[in-house]
Amino acid sequence: MNIDSRAAVRTPEQPALRSGALQLKEVRKRFLFDQRELTVLTGLNLDVRPGEFLSIVGPSGCGKSTLLRLIASLDDDYEGHIALDGRRVAGTSLERGLVFQDHRLFPWMTLEQNVAFALIRRDMSAAARDRLVREHIALVGLSGFEQAYPHQLSGGMSQRAAIARALVNEPKVLLLDEPFGALDALTRVHLQTELQRIWMSQGSTMIMITHDVDEALYLGDRVAVMQAHPGRIAHIVDVDLPHPRDRAAPLLHRLKDDILAELTATDAPRGEAVVPLTRRRPG
Amino acid sequence: MSAALRRYGGGLPARIALGLLVPLALILLWDHQARHGGEHAFAFVSAAQVAGALRELWQSGDLLTAYGNSLRNAFGGLFWGSVTGLAVGSAMALLRPVDWVLTPLYHGLRQVPLLGWLPLIGLWFGSGDLSKVIVVSLSAFYPAVLYTYEGLKGVEARMLEVGRLYRLTPWQTFWRIRWPSALPSIFTGLLQSVAFAWIATIGVELLFPTGFGLGTVMQHGQLQARLDIVVVCIAVVGLTGFAINLLVARLSRHALRWRPVRT
Ligand SMILES: Nc1ncnc2c1ncn2[C@@H]1O[C@H](COP(=O)(O)OP(=O)(O)O)[C@@H](O)[C@H]1O
Ligand SMILES: [Mg+2]
Repeated sequence: MNIDSRAAVRTPEQPALRSGALQLKEVRKRFLFDQRELTVLTGLNLDVRPGEFLSIVGPSGCGKSTLLRLIASLDDDYEGHIALDGRRVAGTSLERGLVFQDHRLFPWMTLEQNVAFALIRRDMSAAARDRLVREHIALVGLSGFEQAYPHQLSGGMSQRAAIARALVNEPKVLLLDEPFGALDALTRVHLQTELQRIWMSQGSTMIMITHDVDEALYLGDRVAVMQAHPGRIAHIVDVDLPHPRDRAAPLLHRLKDDILAELTATDAPRGEAVVPLTRRRPG
Repeated sequence: MSAALRRYGGGLPARIALGLLVPLALILLWDHQARHGGEHAFAFVSAAQVAGALRELWQSGDLLTAYGNSLRNAFGGLFWGSVTGLAVGSAMALLRPVDWVLTPLYHGLRQVPLLGWLPLIGLWFGSGDLSKVIVVSLSAFYPAVLYTYEGLKGVEARMLEVGRLYRLTPWQTFWRIRWPSALPSIFTGLLQSVAFAWIATIGVELLFPTGFGLGTVMQHGQLQARLDIVVVCIAVVGLTGFAINLLVARLSRHALRWRPVRT
């Protein structure tokens, strides 16, 4: 599998093989809901550079999760074109990893078994598998908890475990759907720093959805701002700062004000409500 | 252990003592009735008589033989009923055509009380051990099917999605996601199967006259107006049921140790 060869040539500090370019062209997604058609995404174009960290922010219900599900091929029913390194995506693939907002660890598996779960379809020796699992558990700072069951882990630890499971395949693209959304502020800040370190050492392309503009700016090489009804990318902000970053950097604060102004201007009158659905129910 | 229990003096010995309180009181009351009950005394036997009957049954070897036979039928029936129940329940849950064909039939048949089958089973298979095992199997079969089906049907879509993400084959999806996720429900079913199987074992021995099990001994005791023997049998049946139940509950707790402790 080419994932292995890719891992072999990569050195921690400087990702050698620059694959993981994602291209979306005129993507459109409609749901049939109550015999009504709901256009969730339309005219969505996006070029994600190899190895880049792209943050996506946008109002609730604008189709962010839907977008990631399309890229991961958990949902194949869309119009338009999605390609990874020039090849159209078809079906889920170990090259495209996904971290859900709810960690989705299996409660009946230990941490170690949960991480190893991602390798079920990989053809490798038990020893190699164990080594990969151990390395990735260490990468997210959970060494010593290999035998713990998910109910014995805190929310932050579970989310780390979920990240380890997604990374153990060394995917070309890692998609993160509000991975820290359910965590307390302190844990979140801590995990953001960790994720930055992991991203710098891995070289995977990462696309992270978040509702936290600070988080988007702190981590992202670029921040895509989405708009709703129907969902599309309004514009993309370049965050021209080297990693690792300082949270206090003035540029981050300036950009934050801009993005917040844009988000509140487009969505304030409607709040977080999804218009087509609220209109559906009379009274 | 919960705070409430600890407040009452806590600890396992204390709990056992508490659990024995009411049974002991009843036995004393019973014994009193037997000795001073006047005209009702014939319906009760004294503790001394019961102890005598127990010694008698033990020394003749009857108790052990009957107990062995009953246990054999119970476990035979429990095994076949659970295994076929697991298989049928899984097939119904996983294969849509089987679901369509068998589920209505299952719910129809379930309405017939177990006793309703006895004449038919007696006619087809006689009144020997085979029939008894079949009746016991049936009693274990129903809960096994129901809880296996519910468990496998109740697997969360979000869990299956993780399997899809990592490209599991249908077979891997079954063993790694569906089955473990259904296990709590399957164990609930097993606990019911065990209880029903034991009840059915004694019941069918009372109703089918051949063979020699605890139910048979009980019936002989009744015919000979030996209430002491009946009481010994009731005690053995009750204690055995209690012990098996405890064992399966332990087993279940071990197999499901990944679940958070509920307080
Ligand atoms: N399976 C589905 N069927 C119908 N509508 C859906 C489905 N999934 C999502 N939607 C709708 O699509 C819109 C976008 O959802 P989502 O992508 O989850 O938004 P976000 O992640 O940005 O909050 C919402 O209006 C939601 O109701
Ligand atoms: Mg979402």
